[in-house]
Amino acid sequence: MTTQVDIEKLDEKIQQLKQAALELSEMGNQFPAVKRNTARVLASIKMMEMNVSDVARLATP
Amino acid sequence: MISKQPYWNPVLETMPQEKLRALQLKKFKSIFAWAYENSKFHRSLYDKAGVTPSDIRTFEDIRHVPKVEKSMMRDIQRKDPFPYGDALCIPLEEVSNFRQTSGTTGQPVYQADSWQDWEWWAECWSFILWAQGYRPSDRVFIPFGYNIFVAFWAGHYAAEKIGCEVVPGGVLDTQARILKIQELRATAMMGTPTYILGMADVARSKLGIAPETLGIKRITCAGEPGASIPATKKRLQDAWNAKVFDHAGATEIGAWSFECVDQPGGLHVNQAMFLVEIEDVETGEIIEEPGRRGKMVITALDRMAMPCVRFDAKDVIEWDANPCSCGRTFRLIKGGVVGRVDDITKVKGVLLSPVAIEEVVRGIKGLSDEYEVVVDKQGDSESIKLKVEAMPGNESRVKELQAELKDQLRLKTNLGYDIEFHDYGSLPRYEVKAKRFKDLRKKA
Repeated sequence: MTTQVDIEKLDEKIQQLKQAALELSEMGNQFPAVKRNTARVLASIKMMEMNVSDVARLATP
Repeated sequence: MISKQPYWNPVLETMPQEKLRALQLKKFKSIFAWAYENSKFHRSLYDKAGVTPSDIRTFEDIRHVPKVEKSMMRDIQRKDPFPYGDALCIPLEEVSNFRQTSGTTGQPVYQADSWQDWEWWAECWSFILWAQGYRPSDRVFIPFGYNIFVAFWAGHYAAEKIGCEVVPGGVLDTQARILKIQELRATAMMGTPTYILGMADVARSKLGIAPETLGIKRITCAGEPGASIPATKKRLQDAWNAKVFDHAGATEIGAWSFECVDQPGGLHVNQAMFLVEIEDVETGEIIEEPGRRGKMVITALDRMAMPCVRFDAKDVIEWDANPCSCGRTFRLIKGGVVGRVDDITKVKGVLLSPVAIEEVVRGIKGLSDEYEVVVDKQGDSESIKLKVEAMPGNESRVKELQAELKDQLRLKTNLGYDIEFHDYGSLPRYEVKAKRFKDLRKKA
């Protein structure tokens, strides 16, 4: 099965998601439910980076 | 429909080798720098060898990075940060999971994982399960005593992640597990080859249930090489009328390889997440070409809390010359993990791998799944005793079975054995890793 994937576009969205999660994490410093859930979200985002962004950015040092 | 997509990651799993290698090199530089900068243990090891992160530019440079042995990990643990010692790269409060090795080869090794690492474990297993045909429509029964061993924990979380319904078989005994599979019409399960064979035996002998009628379609095996040993795989598949897949992984490494639905007679290495090197046991030379066996040196490219960098796993493997019909570009290792450097021993001057004995025993109809090998020495004379059981109804065939065993063993291992027949059910049964090979010479 051939799959057409726009890896750069996927990476762009992942980075937007990561930025939003990092901002949430910062805002949740006094709010455990936000802080800890965001930590989990960031771990999931890291998995998407491994699956997508690491390939999209292969050429960058 | 996403379920028809054959690959968990259609980009990484079909990427040309040159690109995969480039990805591995980039990731190796990154994890090596991380370990160097955050772990006193790694920094000291690399400083002594005169290797720093800026020295790593090519694969040739990687070969100068000292290997980590399991014994080193044993030496540093039970010290601060307690109990992991100074291989820990993150603050202790960021550790979310403790596991330990089974202790088959000595003192268990403690392993710390962060939440990100735990997600990573499940991600590695997602590649495995998707490649083996697990889909959201599966109801996966996990007959495993959830505990301090990593075993099928990550398989559980990966099955959830890919959308399956998961039934944890936890503290149920074997009979209760079989009845639960029947009651819920589970379609898939995971276990060690020994235990999955044992379950089939219990279903037949204690419950009067034919395991092949239970509706299990796929089984993932790990913990022992059995599912890659053709005779054992055949027994498993026949017993359950299911496709049985092998997977190799380890607590200190991660879930690094898997058999795919095409069952190519070997395991794909997940090259996007692991760098596997095969080293000649005698010369230390790196083996790139297919057909030469050596021991595995492995790096987990994304594991952070306690990095696994050039770990001397002592698994004996070889590259397969052929690509897989599944279309994955991840390289295959032929016949899976064919043994461990520690297990391959000389008896009467002949090199013996216990896997070869299993292939013979499980290949003979009329013998049970269980066996035990005892190597001993009296004075200067070495002996190998093989204990086996005839299946019920085969007691009158013992002489015939014994002759067939002797012939096959001589052919496959080039050694003579003292063969002992035991009553069916009297040899030990195992739930996790089986210990069937006993070398009494070491005790002497």
